[in-house]
Amino acid sequence: MKILIIITALLSFAAHAQEEKKNVIYKYKEYEIIDLGSLEIKGQIMAPGDLTVNERERQTFKRSLLEKNYFDFENRREIENLR
Amino acid sequence: MKYLVILIALLATSLEVNASAKGAYELYQKDKTKTRDKKIAHELIESSYYFSAIPYINNYLEKNNEIDAELEADIETLVIKTGTMAVLNLDEKRLEGFNIPSISLILGTRLFNKEQSAKAYEILSRIPETHQFSAEAALIKGTIRNLERKNIEANNLYDACIKKASALEESSKGEKLKRYYDYLKETCIIRTARVKIEEKKYVEALETYEQIDKRSYKWPYILMDQAWAHYYLKDYNRALGLTTTYKSPLLESYFFPEAEVLMALSYYNLCLWDDSLKVVDHFYDVYQSKAQALKEILGKNKTSNTYFLDLYYADPEARGNLNPFIRNLITQTRKQVKFNLDLASLKAAKDELQLLKKLKNKNDFTEMLEGNLDSTISFISAKINYYIKKEIFTFINEIHKHSFSMFNLKLELLSKKRDEIYNAKALAATDRNRGSDVNVKRKTSQYYFDFNGSFWADELGDYSFGLQTACKDSSVAKK
Repeated sequence: MKILIIITALLSFAAHAQEEKKNVIYKYKEYEIIDLGSLEIKGQIMAPGDLTVNERERQTFKRSLLEKNYFDFENRREIENLR
Repeated sequence: MKYLVILIALLATSLEVNASAKGAYELYQKDKTKTRDKKIAHELIESSYYFSAIPYINNYLEKNNEIDAELEADIETLVIKTGTMAVLNLDEKRLEGFNIPSISLILGTRLFNKEQSAKAYEILSRIPETHQFSAEAALIKGTIRNLERKNIEANNLYDACIKKASALEESSKGEKLKRYYDYLKETCIIRTARVKIEEKKYVEALETYEQIDKRSYKWPYILMDQAWAHYYLKDYNRALGLTTTYKSPLLESYFFPEAEVLMALSYYNLCLWDDSLKVVDHFYDVYQSKAQALKEILGKNKTSNTYFLDLYYADPEARGNLNPFIRNLITQTRKQVKFNLDLASLKAAKDELQLLKKLKNKNDFTEMLEGNLDSTISFISAKINYYIKKEIFTFINEIHKHSFSMFNLKLELLSKKRDEIYNAKALAATDRNRGSDVNVKRKTSQYYFDFNGSFWADELGDYSFGLQTACKDSSVAKK
């Protein structure tokens, strides 16, 4: 029983010690100068020299008008009306 | 003397009829063999009781598989005299087992109308090329290949139909039969022209249509086909002239909603937006209300088996009061071969019933014949009634279908007018020249008539407008 109490006490102490370790304070630089002029970027510049809009024909939407490509309706009806 | 000869001839015919009816009665009483029905049918056919023979032929074929030469000839006679009613009660499965031309024609036609084209083609191919039904078989087979877009085969079959129908027309003695084969021949000629239109050979198609005589039954119908051919040849003035022909009093009973659409389209392609819009509006004014009225009549009488047939018998004034379109629709229906054949069958069946009623020696057999004939008459009446009803229904559907085309065209027209306003262009209607001979395209074979406000029968089919296109781009309106 005594041993059990000691082990429990030790474990709780160790846990407490770990919590204390976690409490770290990080500090960042408050001020930094970046010299863009000295930075080198690799690759090609894709941006156009000036802004242009290509002329294109206005889009018109065609509605389907009646076409007579086949005479299926008339041909069928003629057979129906034969006998 | 002449009257005496006629009287003796009539008496002799009536005695013969009685004798054969008596023969049929004796068979009915005494014959207990399985060929009894076949023999009774033969006796009845011999004595010109064609409709009375139908149930016996049907009964026999229901139970027996063999058809001898005599029965084949009897069935053929029945098909010619009564039409497709000869084997009315037999279903397709049963009919398939009989390989004789008359049954093959009936079955093939039935299957085609049920959209079983492959089977129909196979059955119709059983009919020998030398047989009298081969012209019709070739026409239906050609139609099947036409629908399958096998134009070479279709053309060959249509050509075979033309040759056979011409030969039969020459060899036939009866005037009605001659007319029927002529009708078949012209139908097949028109089919070859339509195939040409489908293949975009418009000039050739128009030359083929010239073979149809203006006095033909088929002629009013080919005006539409011709108008389409001219439309695709970009001869919109001629297309307008042909569609306007339907407005002549002689063709009053022929009205095709499609003609209105083609007229509006022709104006549209001439960039005459206002004219086109007028046709569109006229279409809605005339057809929409009529379609609604017809729809109501159909709805109210859809279960009746006699209403539409009674309309046919009603006097023109009574029909006109009901709906002005009915009279013209029925006139149009009356010109259909099937309708005429069925009507002739109805009359023949009624006459046959009267003959039976006049027989002196009544017995259970003659009573049974009368009962059967009553049912046949009711059936034919219902069939004709259904046919008229279906014609009206098809007409309403046509209007609805073309209303959609007109709606699209109207949107296009409004869009074109809006574009012109946006582009600050003067609308074409303001300064266009209203027709000139210069704009009429004419071949040497085409007549030229001035239109002075009245239609003349010999001018029909040769009209052309002479409108100047209002399109800025002289080719065609941008679609």
